[in-house]
Amino acid sequence: MTAATQDPPATGLVPEQRRNVMQVRKRNGDLEPVDVNKIVKAVELWVADLGEVDPLRVATKTISGLYDGATTAELDKLSIQTAAELIGEEPQYSKLAARLLAAYVDKEVRGQGVASFSQSIRYAHGLGLIGDETAAFVARNARKLDDAVDVAGDLRFEYFGLRTVADRYLLRHPQSRLVVETPQYWLLRVACGLSTDAREAIGFYRLMSSLAYLPSSPTLFNSGTRHTQMSSCFLVDSPKDELDSIYERYHQVAKLSKFSGGIGIAWSRIRGRGALIRGTNGKSNGIVPFLKTLDAGVAAVNQGGRRKGAACVYLEPWHPDIEEFLELRDNTGEESRRTHNLNLANWIPDEFMRRVEADGEWSLIDPSDAPSLPDLFGDEFTEAYQAAEKKAVKTVKARDLYGRMMRTLAQTGNGWMTFKDRSNALSNQTGEPGNVIHLSNLCTEILEVNNDDETAVCNLGSINLGQHVNVDGVDWVKLRETVRTAVVYLDRVIDINYYPSQQAAASNPRWRPVGLGLMGLQDAFFTLRLPFDSAEAKELSTRVQEEIFLTALETSAELAAAVGPHPAYPETRAAKGELHPDLWGAEVTQTGRWEALRSAIAAHGLRNSLLIAIAPTATIASIAGAYECIEPQVSNLFKRETMSGEFLQINTYLVRELKSRGLWTAAIREQIKRAEGSVQAIAELPDDVRELFRTAWELPQKALIELAAARAPFIDQSQSLNLFMAAPTINKLSSMYLYAWKAGLKTSYYLRSRPATRIQQATVAVAPAVTAPVSLIPALTPAEACSLENPESCEACQ
Amino acid sequence: MLLDPGMDLTLRPMKYPHFFDRFKDAIKNTWTVEEVDLHSDLADLAKLSPAEQHLVSRLVAFFATGDTIVANNLVLNLYQHVNSPEGRLYLSRQLFEEAVHVQFYLNLLDTYVPDEQERFEAFAAVENIPSIARKAEFCFKWIDSVFDLRKLETKEHRRAFLLNVICFAACIEGLFFYGAFAYVYFLRSRGVLQGLASGTNWVFRDESMHMAFAFDVVDQVRAEEPDLFDATMEQQVRDMLAEAVECEVQFAADLLEQGVSGMSLGDMREYLQHVADRRLAALGIDPMYGSRNPFAFMELQDVQELSNFFERRVSAYQVGVTGTVSFDDDF
Repeated sequence: MTAATQDPPATGLVPEQRRNVMQVRKRNGDLEPVDVNKIVKAVELWVADLGEVDPLRVATKTISGLYDGATTAELDKLSIQTAAELIGEEPQYSKLAARLLAAYVDKEVRGQGVASFSQSIRYAHGLGLIGDETAAFVARNARKLDDAVDVAGDLRFEYFGLRTVADRYLLRHPQSRLVVETPQYWLLRVACGLSTDAREAIGFYRLMSSLAYLPSSPTLFNSGTRHTQMSSCFLVDSPKDELDSIYERYHQVAKLSKFSGGIGIAWSRIRGRGALIRGTNGKSNGIVPFLKTLDAGVAAVNQGGRRKGAACVYLEPWHPDIEEFLELRDNTGEESRRTHNLNLANWIPDEFMRRVEADGEWSLIDPSDAPSLPDLFGDEFTEAYQAAEKKAVKTVKARDLYGRMMRTLAQTGNGWMTFKDRSNALSNQTGEPGNVIHLSNLCTEILEVNNDDETAVCNLGSINLGQHVNVDGVDWVKLRETVRTAVVYLDRVIDINYYPSQQAAASNPRWRPVGLGLMGLQDAFFTLRLPFDSAEAKELSTRVQEEIFLTALETSAELAAAVGPHPAYPETRAAKGELHPDLWGAEVTQTGRWEALRSAIAAHGLRNSLLIAIAPTATIASIAGAYECIEPQVSNLFKRETMSGEFLQINTYLVRELKSRGLWTAAIREQIKRAEGSVQAIAELPDDVRELFRTAWELPQKALIELAAARAPFIDQSQSLNLFMAAPTINKLSSMYLYAWKAGLKTSYYLRSRPATRIQQATVAVAPAVTAPVSLIPALTPAEACSLENPESCEACQ
Repeated sequence: MLLDPGMDLTLRPMKYPHFFDRFKDAIKNTWTVEEVDLHSDLADLAKLSPAEQHLVSRLVAFFATGDTIVANNLVLNLYQHVNSPEGRLYLSRQLFEEAVHVQFYLNLLDTYVPDEQERFEAFAAVENIPSIARKAEFCFKWIDSVFDLRKLETKEHRRAFLLNVICFAACIEGLFFYGAFAYVYFLRSRGVLQGLASGTNWVFRDESMHMAFAFDVVDQVRAEEPDLFDATMEQQVRDMLAEAVECEVQFAADLLEQGVSGMSLGDMREYLQHVADRRLAALGIDPMYGSRNPFAFMELQDVQELSNFFERRVSAYQVGVTGTVSFDDDF
């Protein structure tokens, strides 16, 4: 490092570039003066329907951040960034930034001599990125496909969505790292990878391009490429209690992880600390050292360069190492007993919850003394567990262990509560003895049987409900159409998919499960002005779920009629005439259609053993510009942090509401920011509006659980249900999770909470310290801190 | 009175319960260096332009010594004179946090600067990088100004002490560090150096609290002895902040000398002046600059974060949760 700086002159001013002579370097190497009008013109190209956007503002702000001698590419990037930074003031800048970015990407693709979709596929195939079959398919149908590209498609993206697409989904040149496809080419490529003819491909492309439905990320990453691993989730059974099996699992996890899969893995069969190892006559060190190795393995495998591997370990609470397991994510203690990359979940039998409720004792039993426990559920489990209790390694109070689980949830958000008996008893796949669900997946929405030889697999996709709703209500016809198309393509993935492990390849064709989910429930509620915890919201969410499930079953029955049921169909409950709402004992409303469906299933069976799972949709909801899955909004104003950077997210429904009332002012914006995205203190808003725009932190969590339970009869797998509590206590958490169990939920997901303190806000007006005895210090009263000379730092009087 | 010489040991009755509350809140936000994952930063560093690499190397060189200086002042000056056992509890906690920060930046430099010789130079930044040396001199000047005071017996002593507190809160943690954070967040807003940013986020959260505590102390002393803060002292505070802004601007000139797109020196100066005005406002002094915050990416620091858990470790959890199992609480 060299010290190249000179001492500043005595005035304290440091020389800097003068703005009026600033120059940029063009792509051909020439220098030219920066011209504000040129930037304004470039921006104006994209503002067509964006009435609130001010191109001059973008141009001048861009220039203010520029340095002398910057390249025009830097200038382009900076103008995108600058537009994006104005989103907090006016959400339309999000669309503007997205369009500027789309233009930038377009230029990059065309700069490599690519002028059409079919050329992009040919080019990428030549680079070894596209699979031979898709390349041939596109070559055969080049003209039709090229004509199908919707030039207006990119206008639908918001900035955050398109940025995510551009940074992570578009295929890149292996050496230059330039993108070789535009966003629309990308979606068409995904469609072509799953289609048998051009008409079909174009139909599926249009659905995705409209953002009404998106398959999950692995499909969006890999469809049409040389490695068509398109499944999201893998559920790996616990290794057997022997070294070879444990190391085989590490290997399998690494392979699954490499191709973008999220992994759930059970660990309940492995003996606990202190148990005898006969081969050496030594004592076992328990599960923690093995999980530490798994942790390192997961971190080492990078999912195709896109994100770190991720896995969740499931353990049943009778395992002798359960207490150490719950500490794996603590941030203090011995590092060799901590696993910072693994997620943790409790796989809980009802017997445990009953003993918690009854304030009973709970026995910890070594699996080597009761090897059948992981394979039993319901009464059979309870009997076997009670019989094994005489061999207990240790006895604890059930409530103490439950309290420990609650503490882990509060401190780490991890240690998800998932319920083994309910998950098994209400599954279509557990119709015959021996078919057991041993765990859920990384996001707790998948529940599928597996065993030592079969790793369960699931392909996911989610409907964007916001695109199926207007102020008059749900467009049921459109929703039905979307479900039909979605199920057909989810089913097709099963046959085209590349399976990274033989255990996965063994399971999926037999059961053919898929997971059709939902995103944008909150969008629908905002559009229809339904508070999240209202009876109407619960009714709507339940009816939507019934429609989706019913249509999905109808479609699967049609597929079965055409090509036959899935091979394991005779082992399912559906084969005995029992459908998921029957298992719940739930009422259905579309009775005629359900009856017809039952006859169709009786005649032809089902092509898929499972159809519905509500995944968290973190990334695809961003792409679609929708609220995540079935979640309430977390805040009216927040930022997302991803590998692409930080993005301000603002509730556009709220902005519209405020604008219509003339309340979208700098003062109100600052108030919302100061309140961390809450509008509850904005007195100018009527009660019903404030009620509508409550955040997840402000909603009763009971309502979230009740909504989930009401729609659950129409979800044959499960839902990634996050719960929110700003300042959790053991009392509240233990009440909440007992309620969730009694409500009959199969699984729950993260507990979200808030930090105890936060970074002091740097861009809202300074408020005097609340703890200071203000009355003694007149200089610090708000009135005097506010200065007319400095209106930016105080909006109190504007 | 808070600054009365002596060693108050009695926690009950508690005279300054808000100090104790800050102590408890701080404990809930415990984090450790091992939680920060720097693995993706190395790949990012290689992608940065030479101008950005220069920025980063200067920045980490500042971080290498910045927190150590703060910790030293805390032990040598603050702890001695804040005569409240609950206040000293907070300061002990702060000292621990400074130590974690030092460890974090140590870890960061060891990771970022694989070449041993270069690493030694970075750690010796105070001696061989003039723009950092100038900031260090400013700090030392204010440490030295009260170093010889064993007891605060006169108004002048107490004023000198207050100036030291204000210097470390408003100028060093409140301006030098806020300047440094701006560079980190600028980089993060561009999607690079996530590891640095997530560690810095936690450091920033702690520093915010340190500053708030120091301002509590100032407010308390002023409340107890209102005439302490006279016109002369106000002017001294202004001069001190003006000098701090100058120090930080010349540091910025060094960091940005090769041209970084999206962060001009003019904008940086405006930002620093804006921050300085805010510090003055917190002390009830009129702003000197009337500058606005030009950095939209700093506004992102003021809103709730929501991480995609596949990508980032969420920093929002608490430690020290209390309560017992119960089944009839509202939720």
